[in-house]
Amino acid sequence: MSTYGWLIDEKLCIECRACESACKTWNQVETGVGVRWRQVRVREMGVYPQVRQQALTGSCYHCENAWCMKACPVKAIWRRTEDGTVQIDQEKCVGCQQCAMFCPYGAPQFNLRTRKMSKCTFCFDRREQGLDPACVTLCPTGALQYGRWDQIQSRGAETTENFAPPRQTRPRVRFIRDPFPVNK
Amino acid sequence: MALTRRDWLKTTGAGLASAPAALAGFEDYFQPAASASPAVTKAVSCCGICSPACGLQATIQDGVVRFVEGLPGDAHGFGRLCGKGAASVNYLYDPDRLKYPMKRTNPRKGFDQDPGWVRISWTEALDEIAFRMKQTIDNYGREALLFVTLPSPDLWLRFMNAMGVVNRVDHRDECFLTDMVIQRYTTGGKTWCNDFENSKYILLFGWDIVAKAKIVYANGIVEARKNGGKVVHFSPNYTATSRFANEWIPIRPGTDLAVALAMIQVIISENLYNKDFVDRYTNFGRYETEIRAHFAQYTPEWAEQISGVKAADIRRIAREFATQGPAIAPAHKKTLCANYMNGSQLVHAISILNILAGTIDRPGGRYFPRTHSIPGVDAVYPPPAYPARTGRRVDGRDRLPLVNEVDAGMFSTLADGMLNKYPGMIKFAFWNAYTILAFPNPRTMEEAMKTVDFTVVMDFIPTDTVSMADIVLPSTMYLEVNDAVARDYNAKYPQTVARAAISPPAFETRSIGWVAIELGKRLCPDYFKTPDGSWINPATLLDEKVKRAGLGENFADFRAKGIVETKQPFTPRTSFVTVSGADGKCQIYVPQFIARGVDPLPKWVPKREMPNEHYPYYFMTFIPAIHKRNTTQNMAILNEIMPTNHAIINPALAKKHGISQGQKVLVRSRAGQIELPAHLSETVPPDVVMVAHGFGHASRALSLAGGKGARDGDLIANPSIDDFIKAGNYAGSSCIMDAVCSIEPL
Repeated sequence: MSTYGWLIDEKLCIECRACESACKTWNQVETGVGVRWRQVRVREMGVYPQVRQQALTGSCYHCENAWCMKACPVKAIWRRTEDGTVQIDQEKCVGCQQCAMFCPYGAPQFNLRTRKMSKCTFCFDRREQGLDPACVTLCPTGALQYGRWDQIQSRGAETTENFAPPRQTRPRVRFIRDPFPVNK
Repeated sequence: MALTRRDWLKTTGAGLASAPAALAGFEDYFQPAASASPAVTKAVSCCGICSPACGLQATIQDGVVRFVEGLPGDAHGFGRLCGKGAASVNYLYDPDRLKYPMKRTNPRKGFDQDPGWVRISWTEALDEIAFRMKQTIDNYGREALLFVTLPSPDLWLRFMNAMGVVNRVDHRDECFLTDMVIQRYTTGGKTWCNDFENSKYILLFGWDIVAKAKIVYANGIVEARKNGGKVVHFSPNYTATSRFANEWIPIRPGTDLAVALAMIQVIISENLYNKDFVDRYTNFGRYETEIRAHFAQYTPEWAEQISGVKAADIRRIAREFATQGPAIAPAHKKTLCANYMNGSQLVHAISILNILAGTIDRPGGRYFPRTHSIPGVDAVYPPPAYPARTGRRVDGRDRLPLVNEVDAGMFSTLADGMLNKYPGMIKFAFWNAYTILAFPNPRTMEEAMKTVDFTVVMDFIPTDTVSMADIVLPSTMYLEVNDAVARDYNAKYPQTVARAAISPPAFETRSIGWVAIELGKRLCPDYFKTPDGSWINPATLLDEKVKRAGLGENFADFRAKGIVETKQPFTPRTSFVTVSGADGKCQIYVPQFIARGVDPLPKWVPKREMPNEHYPYYFMTFIPAIHKRNTTQNMAILNEIMPTNHAIINPALAKKHGISQGQKVLVRSRAGQIELPAHLSETVPPDVVMVAHGFGHASRALSLAGGKGARDGDLIANPSIDDFIKAGNYAGSSCIMDAVCSIEPL
């Protein structure tokens, strides 16, 4: 079976957080314990009035070279062979937070109640039923898409502004950076 | 956390053992989903967080609503939902929800008082309310009743009409009232239908629509950009909308009107208007002399002095707007432009720009919604004659004749009326789903509420308003009721969606329509009977409405379809304003205004308050994308994303006052003061303090939102009707954005 990756067209993000709400409800991710698998981060650049903002949805990128897996001392982080996604085994995790320290993207997060790490599963349960990941299903504008990695890979840039250098971890994400057309 | 909530539910007397079947879903939501043999079904309904009612599809597992998503193919939600709608299960299963009718035992009222709630039965609650209403009318007349509610649903409106309620107030003066009043006389259209997708030039006077994530509009803007349309955004601060604009043009707060007037001047003096449309469908020709003479004074150079926008830019954008269309300038909603003291004038000016562009009910412009006609209860069961609504308007609205005609408003002047103009007049109040945070200067509204002898509040979470009630009624929420919603936001063809109860009413919650019938039985029985003498049954009524509207044999049949769309070609109208004397034309010059003491053309009026030596900065509020006004702060997911608000200031202003990021600051205005942490941002100009609306709920019964953040409204001085009349604010813009303030570190 093929591997999957994210495709992000950041100019289309309206900061509505549908991806976040969908992720939390579908996966029943507890609130109030410091865990948000998917987050829209808004950053500003420049000085008023020469100011710009970037809204970037982010989660685990299921890296080809996942440092979190290497960092885990108890081998709780593993790669699903079916789709190449990176998963945390809640039974094995001891909550040492080593993975969080090595991940450049803030993907593995510490649950204050269970005292274990958790992160985006790429909704493997939904994809097994032929459904899109919850976040992609809700995104109103198409700012967040996904697809088979062999098809996604050529559709965008490896990185974007405010995104940690991808060379080492090789995250499975591509960024569409074309601007809107201008009609003159 | 799951255990805590479960324990909490048990303490309220709704333990599993005693819970009727209807509560199973509510209880089980807090249990982990059973992995073995999940019985999964899907159901169609529509979102109720905001008014476009995006179609939704729910995944229900063993009776528990687990997940909601958009309804594929639905034109209103573009088949999707926003973050608020996607978190609907938080609304449905909020453990803080009001569960039973309750009665107050502590006679002292105030946000600092424990009401001492005692659970009562629905019968006791309704009997008591009916008794109090009757006693109030007998002793003080109908004008002593105050209903704080929208005039819907139809059964509820029938009850108020049957009781001859004079004082029904709603929030629309803070929202689209100005546009509602002015469209009636200028284009005849409805305020919220904007064909952005097909527009080539979208001019936004502070209309921060992308940032509010109303996806029917946000997607329209996105589609416009994908289609090569141009977006120009005038706004003092940079927002998500600015990101979607080809040009973001900073402007001084409250001066959009000057720019709009100057743009009209340019388009008219250079004869750039859509001649075909203007000649055929407007009254421009008839009043050309007056119109040209009036706008000649408003040159771009004049507007530059006021707004800070360069005259050359105003001229260029006016020319582009007139010639690169189809062009559209929307006007709607609390933020930003339409809520200054000069909002009435601005909305008239914006309406004229649309008329000059010739896009009224044309592709790419503002259009009339095409909807199915669903009969109301008065059409299905014609009522006996309603009593005359005689008495004084406590909010003074009767002094704004144009607003009175549309029967909407006025939150902004209610407190002034109750405390100063007609103190003691209101003896009985019924609040339906409005919180006190929705008012300018909520402190004065709290004081006003204390002057009322008996207050009923119907809501579904324990808001601040609830804490002031004598009797509380627990309300159902939108996933627990049946209805047919004829949406009118993206309505180029009719699309009616079934609002279906995909979850049974939790605990003892009931709908406001049901309350109307039960109170009706007690107070005005003749109005709640069918021709055969039986009581009106809401389910039978809905079946009949659905049938008459051609949506299905009955509601069950319609519900099975989920959505009924009547695809039809868009045929542009040739007849517009229906008020007498308009001859069906669009009116730039509104002669009917003169008899009502209103200028027939928009004129320059400054905002209500300008920065001064005591309060040197503009105070601005905004509605963040992740919350719906003041109603969603207790939803767990949304609360986690944005739990509180900040005083957002430019780093240059922070430096001037020695304020650092996150430091607590005191923001003061002539109305009051708030304390909250500072957030430094280059998106706001250095003379503005900006605070998100919707925070500062005092009610500790809201376990997530209670006590978090500060109320923006505390800095907004109540306007009075006299202020409105003096400033030519004839369409009742509520002055939400007019305050000025000071700031200092704590």
